Amino acid sequence: MPRVDPGFRRKNGRIDMGASDYVTVSNPYSFDLRVRGRVPTDLCGFLVVPTNRRNKDRRYFARWHDSQTDLVRLDLTPGRPGRVQANVLEVDPAATDLGERIGDGRFDPQAQLLSAGGTYITQPNHGANIAGDTLWATNLLFGAPLEVDITRWKPVRVLSYLDITPWTPRISGTSHFAWSFDHRYAYFHLSHLEPGGHGHPVRAVDLTLYELDVSTGTERSWRLVPPPEDDVPEVANFHSCFYFEEGGRPFVGMLRTGALLETIAPHDAHVDHTVAPASASAIWIVELDRSRPSLQARLLPGVMELDSLALSHLDVDRSRRDGFVLFANFKEADVGEETHGRNIYGEEPEAVAEHYSGMIVEALNYGLVIRYEWRQGVADLRTFRRPYDPGRTSLGHSWLPINIQLGPDGKRLFCSFSGFRPRLLPHHIAVAYPDRVVDHTTIRSVPPLLMRMDAETLKPDVQGGRGHLSYAEPMAMVVTGTAAQSYVCTFSPESGLRIYDADNLGKLLCHAESPQLMHWKDTHFRPDPAHLAFVPR
Amino acid sequence: MAGVPDPEFLSVEGPEFAERVRVAAEITNQLEQQNWDFNAAPEVFAREAACDVAAKEIVTTFDGRVQTRYGRLVMKGAGARFNLLSHESPRAAFLGVRPDVFAEVNVQVGSAGLLDFPEFARMSPLQRVELFNPNVFYQLRDVVFWSVLYQSGLFPTGFEDIGRQISSGNVIRNLLFAPSVPSSNGRQELFMEAFSAVQFPTDVVEWMPKPLFGGMSTESLHIDTLLTLDPTDLSHPYLDLVAEGKVVFQDRSYYMRRFAGISPKDATRGPGVPAEERTH
Repeated sequence: MPRVDPGFRRKNGRIDMGASDYVTVSNPYSFDLRVRGRVPTDLCGFLVVPTNRRNKDRRYFARWHDSQTDLVRLDLTPGRPGRVQANVLEVDPAATDLGERIGDGRFDPQAQLLSAGGTYITQPNHGANIAGDTLWATNLLFGAPLEVDITRWKPVRVLSYLDITPWTPRISGTSHFAWSFDHRYAYFHLSHLEPGGHGHPVRAVDLTLYELDVSTGTERSWRLVPPPEDDVPEVANFHSCFYFEEGGRPFVGMLRTGALLETIAPHDAHVDHTVAPASASAIWIVELDRSRPSLQARLLPGVMELDSLALSHLDVDRSRRDGFVLFANFKEADVGEETHGRNIYGEEPEAVAEHYSGMIVEALNYGLVIRYEWRQGVADLRTFRRPYDPGRTSLGHSWLPINIQLGPDGKRLFCSFSGFRPRLLPHHIAVAYPDRVVDHTTIRSVPPLLMRMDAETLKPDVQGGRGHLSYAEPMAMVVTGTAAQSYVCTFSPESGLRIYDADNLGKLLCHAESPQLMHWKDTHFRPDPAHLAFVPR
Repeated sequence: MAGVPDPEFLSVEGPEFAERVRVAAEITNQLEQQNWDFNAAPEVFAREAACDVAAKEIVTTFDGRVQTRYGRLVMKGAGARFNLLSHESPRAAFLGVRPDVFAEVNVQVGSAGLLDFPEFARMSPLQRVELFNPNVFYQLRDVVFWSVLYQSGLFPTGFEDIGRQISSGNVIRNLLFAPSVPSSNGRQELFMEAFSAVQFPTDVVEWMPKPLFGGMSTESLHIDTLLTLDPTDLSHPYLDLVAEGKVVFQDRSYYMRRFAGISPKDATRGPGVPAEERTH
């Protein structure tokens, strides 16, 4: 490190981004981005982004789940160049700023924080669920959803329907909610997590499905009874849900991701350890019956048989209102493990400059995108799975799929794939999956990718040229607009906001960026946010 | 950054060169028709990666309207001639720079610049090189054409990154450099030092993004010093703040924030894993 003259003020003291050390009050602040190009007229509104923040110093380990949340609202004002203003809401994970505003007497933040071992109540650094002027931000796996008033950009309440106790110090929940046809009801699951340890993984108990009436803010709940052939509480976590009807009866589909956690708390020592491999993901289907206190789940046929890992994100075409066409992706990654220790080449983290200060998810191999059509009890399954071929990059790849969204015309599917950074795959995770892991002696880095596909065939939507894909794109993505004119927005703090014509992903309409997005004091946003949601005004 | 271990382009002229231009144009057309898939024209693949920035010291001045970035680059390479590709604003001007601008700041900070890193001592002997023949590429076609013509080649992942920059409205600047004493066998590692500056209008500070791995150095020793007319709390995207204060630079007083550390590169690969090549 360079020497520093004593006359210069040395920055001393570091901010440990472990959530237990972080308690503050919500503190929004605003600044403008530099805009090049134009903000299209159709994009008058807000873009909402949950972010993860960690120490720049990668010696300070923090799990992805635990990393500090800041919610970013980008206010788009159409014009040439138009205006993009960032409003950053620093979330208080202890929810102490909400205590007096809960008002229903059910939620005592201080008591809950104590039961959670002094860690956090809500850490919504991943999913963005929106109805009208309200956001429910969610974690990847842990903690309760945080309800936020989008216009005022203020937290309102934590959906703390399950109490935290010393015996169940964590809640797990659905990151991406299901929505009724009229968007009045949101569906998501919450469960308690019992700590693991001593060779026993973390277990999900008290599995509960919630129906939130967004017009009144009230909720209804059902206890979930697992399918008999998939009753494994160690892997009963659900990243996304979807709602559909069949024969006029309402159902919720739940993507059982299957993250397997050895312990609830981060590892004390970041050394190689034995990893219990995760098992294949599945989809649970439950019929909603308001006359019953509990709902029996059953398995959607043919999904577990795909034998793929980490079924995570989805979009669903319910336009026929009878059955569904589900688009979903498998990450083929161990999403419950922490990336630390030696990598697959035997390099120590200190020798790998691209290491983060803590956990990310790195794939074991290329992932899988599925199109699952379900009509009258009959399934039709199509898949897209492709390695990265440097000699034929126009074909795209399926390494670590993240976002998946139908275009407004319902005919095109937009997907983002995070790619692969081989030097970030830990040795201790790779050896747990000898039949799945890629050959590390030949695999190279795989760049991130944004790709448009044909929603019917799941083939790359090639229409001449390279307008169906863009490499090195940020992962957070949203498609918006109309069937006649749609747009793809991508965002990361370092790359900024990028708005494309959805018909041509090589045609950038707007680029907005700011150095103020690239750091927060002396911390920074890592990893890049996964999701982005558009709220029209 | 690609290397040109044995630069044939320096020895070709007259009708031979005209023929080479015709062939390069043909290959470029062929590649474009095949959606820029390199398998369609394997001549485009770089033969081997041969150069990387191993250390850099940057001084950035920003007055609220114009940013000037002064760079001292230390390259690790193997070969005789090299080219350096970087993206920038179409409104940017490429400037020459005196090497002493870095010392002017360092002496006030009490720093020896890159010498403060113990690892920097291993980057020797250091050959001073001049950056010459700067040219600008505006389209993917331009990049491919030049790379084929001068046989420097490209790697597909780097090419995709260039494509994204061009679609963003940036241009690609290409600079050549050659050490006076090249690698003895074309493979011996060299360390070369170059100085350059670029100036562009902007109303916000623009940091350089992480570079792609060029095959020789998976990381860079990195010092970045930000000089502003007004106080700022801006921080570097991934380097730690190591000093702040005020300095006089080129007869003007600035607020100074210095960031330093080891900076990562994108698209690194494991030890012994070969560079991208033609597939079947």
